[in-house]
Amino acid sequence: MSPISLLSVLTEDLLVRVYTRLGSDSDRKTWRIVCKNFLRVDLVTRRSLRILRFEFLQRLLFKYTNLDSLDLSVCPRIEDGAISLLLSRPEWLNWTRCLTRLTLSGATGLRHSGLELLLRACPRLEAVDVSYCWGYGDMEASAISCAKGLRELRMDKCLGVTDVGLAKIAVGCGKLERLSLKWCMEISDLGVDLLCKKCLDLKSLDVSYLKLTSESLRSIASLPKLEVLAMSGCAFVDDVGLQFLENRCPLLQVIDISRCEFLTYSGLQSVARGHNGLLQLNAGCCLSRLPATVLHCLKDMKNLNTIRIDGARVSDSSLEIISSNCKSLVEIGLSKCVGVTDMGIMQLVSGCVDLKIVNLTCCRSITDAAISALAKSCWKLVCLKLESCDKVTEKSLNQLGSCCLGLEEIDLTDCSGVDDKGLKYLSGCSELLCLKLGLCTNISDKGLAYIACNCTRISELDLYRCTGIGDDGLAALTNGCKKLMKLNLSYCNGVTDRGMHYIGHLKELSDLEMRGLINITSVGLTAVAAGCKRLAELDLKHCERIDDSGFWALAYYSRNMRQINMSYCAVSDVGLCMVMGNLTRLQDAKLVHLTKVTVKGFELALRACSVRIRKLKLNSRLRLVLSSETLETLHARGCMFRWD
Amino acid sequence: MSSSSSPMQSTGRKLKLKSKDDETFEVEEAVAVKSQIFKYMVEDGVSNGPIPLPNVNGKTLARVLQWCQKHADPTITEDELNKYDAGFIDVDQAVLYDLLMAANYLNIEELLKLACMRVADMIKGKSPDEIRRTFNIKNDFTPEEEEEVRKENAWALGP
Repeated sequence: MSPISLLSVLTEDLLVRVYTRLGSDSDRKTWRIVCKNFLRVDLVTRRSLRILRFEFLQRLLFKYTNLDSLDLSVCPRIEDGAISLLLSRPEWLNWTRCLTRLTLSGATGLRHSGLELLLRACPRLEAVDVSYCWGYGDMEASAISCAKGLRELRMDKCLGVTDVGLAKIAVGCGKLERLSLKWCMEISDLGVDLLCKKCLDLKSLDVSYLKLTSESLRSIASLPKLEVLAMSGCAFVDDVGLQFLENRCPLLQVIDISRCEFLTYSGLQSVARGHNGLLQLNAGCCLSRLPATVLHCLKDMKNLNTIRIDGARVSDSSLEIISSNCKSLVEIGLSKCVGVTDMGIMQLVSGCVDLKIVNLTCCRSITDAAISALAKSCWKLVCLKLESCDKVTEKSLNQLGSCCLGLEEIDLTDCSGVDDKGLKYLSGCSELLCLKLGLCTNISDKGLAYIACNCTRISELDLYRCTGIGDDGLAALTNGCKKLMKLNLSYCNGVTDRGMHYIGHLKELSDLEMRGLINITSVGLTAVAAGCKRLAELDLKHCERIDDSGFWALAYYSRNMRQINMSYCAVSDVGLCMVMGNLTRLQDAKLVHLTKVTVKGFELALRACSVRIRKLKLNSRLRLVLSSETLETLHARGCMFRWD
Repeated sequence: MSSSSSPMQSTGRKLKLKSKDDETFEVEEAVAVKSQIFKYMVEDGVSNGPIPLPNVNGKTLARVLQWCQKHADPTITEDELNKYDAGFIDVDQAVLYDLLMAANYLNIEELLKLACMRVADMIKGKSPDEIRRTFNIKNDFTPEEEEEVRKENAWALGP
């Protein structure tokens, strides 16, 4: 330790340099606590803020004056009154000066007047995200059109927006470059036509699942700068529409026509013409046939790096054509494709050696021969999906574990050929981040231990219905995989409270699914709640032995809980009220078939959380017995109900 | 990468530098101009006679010049340079502070970056107390103030 203080050596701008090199969020938070000078550096340098709790909103916005990005999507109680108060004094408004990005995804409590106030207060706003504000309509669209400098707008699932609202935005925000209208079901060809006439700078447009016809494509084709077009699930568009795109939109790089039922390969051929700069093509789940002539069109797309043709009928020769024509291919999607054989795959990987992402879900004819060839050829593999490929055995995993050392994600759901030996080989891929072993009944704690030892970076693990897994496997897991964030143990009936105790050691765990664990009691749940402080999503459906004492622990410890499924649990009035009342970040709750909770209990619980809850699932009989007052209050605050 | 317009040959033009404790150094122009200060001096033609550097002692100046020499060498590969840098900056704190101050004073961007990165690495993963002890920083928060900052970290700031 030096007798000289760091503060006498480093001036503030040098401290800023050191701070910006910290990288991790937890280091930056630690920095703030060290001393006042360090805190000031953070206040001046931090550019983006994501607020978790409403109580801190005003104070933090007052302190951070150099923000360019603000995320309020997980902050409860964002509504018109609160925003109005926030913006009421000029001396509190420093943070609005530089703000360019505003995320209000899911902020269903905020309506058009609050939205307008907020957008008008931030003169430099360029990007706004109001996706999943399902109650938003034309009045909110009108508020958005006040942000004249807007370049990027996400309105996914704003179900009430119609052509009128879209027109206001098109006229008001002429500089729009990126727009997503996914699921905005009220929008029609008329709205899209006006949009394309007014917003000529559009580079990226998402109209997925809208009820558009081919007429919309006539309008979209006139956008000179379009680079990304997503129209997944547009059920009324046909090949005629794609013909409009032929030789138009010269800058097109990414196109998604997946799930468009009426498109055929001839539409795809039209898209290919005039678009040699295409980088990504997603034609999944819409083409039944893919003749060789169409695939030959891909030859001139020298930079094509992604092809998804999920669900199509292919043959060995199709894959051979792709192999010879698409040398830059990095990602290929052949999920549920009929006709994928070992020979086809071997042809494919001999030409496309740079493949990083390969999806062979439900390609049941694939055996070890194909996967071995893949592993040997494409050593850069990062993500491999083999769900339901039940002929794959430990031989494939041996090759993968020796050749594809950069593998980060592998999906072996329902691959009955995977056993403990296979997992031992697979553990050679020490960079693994996401491992799915759902329905793999032939693995046991022994296999899991190999993974736990060697794949220490794993953050997501799916052991759905892996009946061979028990407490010992979990012990090994918690010992080795300290970074685990997402775990699925649903229906792993061998797990008992002892196993839960081990789970409590996973400090980073934020998402836990444990449906149907009939051997778990409140003791087990308490251990998890007390240990996993970051738990945000929990699914306990059918854990019928967990009663109030477990839920008290949850209410006390799990302050970060955002989403919970307690259906079929043995909780009673008191337990439910404590959970719904104390967990102030809870926004989504499934409370089906809680036989021990009375109507009064539900009333109290719902009132306790009415200020912040956004989604509720309840038995439909409750719709008739709950007071209309409670239901209306909840609805007015933007809560969405699902009745079972 | 700053360098004079002439290619890297021994032009014979050298700069004379004098440290705080009167040690003199002779260094080639092409090496010295890693420092923006010297670069301007050379460009403005005021490089006659030894340049006094009252803020840098001899030992540190020697180290810095050694670094500049290595980084001005055109034959060295990027890998070798990275290895060299890693070894160069693995020094005890007193030396690190001297290097930081010298790099800042002489305006040597790459060396400054390297030194700041080293300080950041020494901070990563430590608790606030450990950081204070390592760098001899006094905790000037009152208990209430510190509690408020901690609360903000836990309940208010998301990743």
